[in-house]
Formats: sequence, C-alpha cells, structure tokens
Amino acid sequence: MFELICNILLWLGLLYAYCFNVLEAPIPDRVARNPYTLKPDMWPKAIIILLLICIAINIINIIRKNKNNPEFSLDALLSIRARVCIGIALVVGASFILEPLGYMATCVLVLFFYGLLLGQHHVIRLAIFSVLVTLVLYVVFSVLLSVNLPRGTIPELRNFSLYVESIVSTVKGSIM
Amino acid sequence: MTTWELFTNGFSVLMDPYTFMMVVFAIIVGTIFGALPGVSATMAVALGLPFTYSMQPIQAIVFLVAVYCSSITGGSITAILFKIPGVPSSAPTTFDGYPMAQRGEAGKALGIALGSSAIGGLVSALAMLTLSPQLTQAALSFSPSDIFAITFMGLSILTCLDSKNILRTLISGLLGLLLACVGQDPMYAVQRLTFGSGELIAGLEMIPVLIGIFAVTEVLKQTKKRTKLESDETNASVNTKMPSFKEWWGIKWLLARCSVIGTVIGILPGAGATIASFLCYSSETKLSKHPEKFGTGIIDGIAASETANNAATGGAMVPLLSLGIPGGNAAAVMMSALVLKGVQLGPLLLVNQPQYLSATFASMVVTNILMVVVAIGIAKVFAQILAVPYSYLGPIIIMLAIIGSYATNMSIADVKIMAIAGVLGLIISACHFNSAALILGLVLGVICEGNFSRAYTISRADIVGMFSRPVAGTLMVISIILLVWPILSQMFRKKEA
Repeated sequence: MFELICNILLWLGLLYAYCFNVLEAPIPDRVARNPYTLKPDMWPKAIIILLLICIAINIINIIRKNKNNPEFSLDALLSIRARVCIGIALVVGASFILEPLGYMATCVLVLFFYGLLLGQHHVIRLAIFSVLVTLVLYVVFSVLLSVNLPRGTIPELRNFSLYVESIVSTVKGSIM
Repeated sequence: MTTWELFTNGFSVLMDPYTFMMVVFAIIVGTIFGALPGVSATMAVALGLPFTYSMQPIQAIVFLVAVYCSSITGGSITAILFKIPGVPSSAPTTFDGYPMAQRGEAGKALGIALGSSAIGGLVSALAMLTLSPQLTQAALSFSPSDIFAITFMGLSILTCLDSKNILRTLISGLLGLLLACVGQDPMYAVQRLTFGSGELIAGLEMIPVLIGIFAVTEVLKQTKKRTKLESDETNASVNTKMPSFKEWWGIKWLLARCSVIGTVIGILPGAGATIASFLCYSSETKLSKHPEKFGTGIIDGIAASETANNAATGGAMVPLLSLGIPGGNAAAVMMSALVLKGVQLGPLLLVNQPQYLSATFASMVVTNILMVVVAIGIAKVFAQILAVPYSYLGPIIIMLAIIGSYATNMSIADVKIMAIAGVLGLIISACHFNSAALILGLVLGVICEGNFSRAYTISRADIVGMFSRPVAGTLMVISIILLVWPILSQMFRKKEA
C-alpha cells in the first residue's frame, strides 16, 4: 500500500510539475525564436513524459500483483515504525535548527537524542559523549579545516559560540 | 627532452629528502581529507594551498598532485566502512564495498580499493608522461555529440543494474535525470523546477545528495532494524587484506579497461573522476559474466570504481599541463597556485619548463605507491570506529553528514537538501526503486543535457545529423542495443515460459 501511495503521489507531483512548474521564468525571446536550439523546458518535459508512462505502468503492476494479497491494506502503512519517524524528524529537524541554534547546540542535541533513539540508556554517559564529540568535530572541521560552522542567530547561543571560538583561537595562538 | 630523460629527472626531484617528506605529508593529509565526508578533492587541494606558499614551484606542484591523488583514494575508506562516500567519485564504491563490510570482509574490500586505485593512478601517470600531447588532441577533438554519446552509454546501464526490476530501475534513473534539471538550464540559465525556492536556483549540490541517500538513509534503516557491521577481527579492528594474485589476475582486463577509460574521461573538460567511476562501474556491469552480482559485494565493482577515479586524476593533469586547460575544479585550483608560482602551463611547458611535467609524473607514481601503505594505516584508525556501539556511531554519522553537507558551500540549504535526500533514500528503498540508478542519472544528467543541447544547436536541430560522426554514431548504436537488450531478452524469456 505504501508503495502504491508513493507511486500515485509521485505521478501526480510529476503531472503538476509538467503542467505548472517546469519553467520558473519565461524563455528569452532570442531563444524562443531560434528554431535550432533546444528550449530550456524540452529536456525536463521529455523526462517527465517518460516518467509518467513508466510510473503508470508500475502502478498497474503493483495493483495487479497485490490484488489478492491480504497485506495490501492500510495496516501496512501504519506498521512503519515510530522509531524511524522520530529518526526522520530528528534529521530534518536538525537541518532546520542548525541556523538559529548554531553548530554547538545542534550537535549536542542530535547526538544525545539520536543516541537515545538508538537504545543508549546511560543518559549521563550519553551526555558526556555528546559534548566530547561536539568538541572533537569542532576542532577537526573548524580549527583544522577552517570550516566556518554556524554560530546561530539566538544571541545567547551565538555569544557562547563566539566565546568558544575565542578560547580556541587563544589556544591555537599559544601553540603556533 | 626525451621521455626517458623526463622519467629520470622526475625521480631525481623526489630524491631531495625535503621534497620526499612533503610528498609523504601530502599523502597523509590528502587521504584524511578525502576520507572526511564533505571534503572533496577540490577542497582538499584548496586546503593544501597554504602549505605551498613557502615552497619552491616544483615542490608545490609535487605536493598538490600528491594531495589530489591521495584524496580521491581516501574517499573509498569511509565509502566501504560506513557507506559515506568521502568524495563523490567514491559513491559507486559503496555499492559493493559496504555489502562486503557488512559481510565482515571490510579488510579485503579496502585492499582491493587501495590496490586498484594505485594501478589506475600509475597507468594514468604513465599515459600522462608518454602520450600527453596526443591524448589532449584526441580528447579535445571530441564534439558535444561524442560526449553526449559517451554519457548516454553510461546511462544505458540502467536496464542492467537490477535485472529483476528493470522498470523500477528505469524510473529511478529518470528521476535522477530529472533532479539534475533542478536549477538553471545549462545553456540559457532559465530557472527550472525550483518551485519558487531561491535555494534551488544553483541546482542540487552533488555531495549533500550523495551523503543523504547513502549515509543518512542507512542510519535511518538501522534505526528500524539494527544490523551491526561485522568486522574481520573480533576486536572490531580491520586488517586490510590484499586479494590473492589469482583474484587480481581474474580482473586484469577490468583494470586495464577502467584505467584507459578513466584516463580519457579525466582529460575531457567538465567530466572528471566522478563521471569516470560511474561510467566504468556501469560498463563493467554490462561486460561482466555475472552482472547480477554487482551491488551485492564483489571485488569487480570496487575495482572498477576505484581504478577509474584514480586514473582520472592523471587524465585531469594532461590538459592542465600541456594546454593550460583545467579538466576539473581540483585542476583549476592547482592551476591558480602554479600560475602564482610562475609556472607557464600550456604547450610551452614541455619546451621551457619540462621539469614540472616530470615532477608531476614522479609525484603521481610515488603517491600512488606510498598511499597504499599510508591509507592502510589511516583505514585502521577509521576502522576502530567500527568497535563503537551503533547507539554512539549512528549519531556521529548523522552529525558528519550534517557538517559534511554544510562544509561543501557553507550553506544551510545544502543541509536541508541532505536531510530530504536521506528521507527520499528511505522512500526509494521502501518502494523498491534503485538508489544507485538515481545517483547515476543525477551525476550524468547535467553533462548529458548540456552536451545534447550544444550538439542540437551545432547540428541545427538535426538529430540524425548529430550522430553522423563516427564516434558518436557508433557509441549511440551500442548504447541503444545495451539499453534495449535486457528488456527484449526478458520479454522473450516470458514468452518462452
């Protein structure tokens, strides 16, 4: 059922894209008038048409194969484990909180909560691990590889990041 | 200067202890950079630039070449151990490397990856020294229709990747091609399929999508059913095992083919190691006597990908040195550093400053040999991570994926793309689509459309005329046969049954 729903949604999404969203801006006049050039929408539209045909056949195949399958019901959809859904929420959530919270807070939160999700029950050990790994990754990427990790937009967290950076640069300066 | 003189001069440069030490240091740095997700070969070379400021030009070129070659190899370590391609060109290595690691054969997988990387690199270095002018002329005579035909041949693997699910594999490949259209069109920069999002105007960055589909999807799957990676040893350390002579002998033609194809693809402007590894993986799937085993964890798949991506490094140096044209981003970074040092890249290099060509060759040879030893050591360190319980390892992989995606362009949008790609990978898996086919479409999509578009304009909209050139015509006929044959043979088999 999940596969069928995904295929139908994909088919409808592609149809929508074909009808309304292939081009976001009008084709320049000189391109539109030139008969010897491939218009910017021709290539993606050709791919979408092929996809619509292939997915339609796939949908028919799925329905045919699962006609007499007792598992072919909404129950299968509901059986998607909650843990995976929480995992998805954590990953997607991390990508959205990275900008406001910054690297430090996001990293500690992701390491801690994903650790809990994967069955690590020693909370104190997990908290120490989260802080240590955050620092190690910070040193590797920010200090050694000069990657400017996000500081966050929330003033307190941003100030904390700047404070850590100042400590690191002091240590770096004394070593160099 | 004769080829022999170039050969001997190059090694005399490396006899200098300081230069030799610099090469060893560059190999260590390059391999580690390559193994870190999000640090591409270009970024590794760029990060290596500050080290060259105080060096002589010849030491600088030797150092940067060593960083470049070893970073491509380093990418295979995390691709095999954690299914995180360290560099995009290591993505096909995950197809067979990770299943081998799951079977407890990580050591052997690393052995074949490092060995075949060295072979590919050595062959391309030799080609660079002896055939540089000829290879450059041959590659530059390729028209857009020829390049389109080459990439189309790479796409023709789609019907062969999973013979039991041809339709779903085809859909996955087409989805990859469609994702490659997101952003601006390659000819006129008209925005397409961005759905009003400003973050998608530049298109989908390759590294976040690869990290999402391979690494994040894997962690999400493990969240549901945890299958701990097994390692060769009980203490979870990985001892890199070189395959036996018999196994190497069994893939001798594969190594030869991938070395040649990788070198030629490396020379083509805009192609590079990623396209080389995908094309070789796809062509070897077609040529193999057991194509169904590709993707299940066989040495052929790892050897094809790793030989090709390292051969492309030598290929990329050919137009850079003999014409002053960078074949890819990493070569462009190298070019800027060398020009600053007063190196005259181009046709006069061989006349006025031949020592740079010989030094590049010597550096590539030494790097490709030494990096096997260095990478074995670094792989051992990385493999220690396998001993970490998955409840600690999983979150680390997620964080590496986040930082790796962000580090590519310092862009939060790339992190979001990585997260969405991770979820997409999970859906692809649940719907029995093929993530390898999707990535193949995505990698080859941009170059495929760009060259088709150029060829279409050059031939004045005459599609048949586009393929009237012998190279393009022959390759297209072969591609169509390769594409259609598995479908037809399946239909015949069904009829017979």
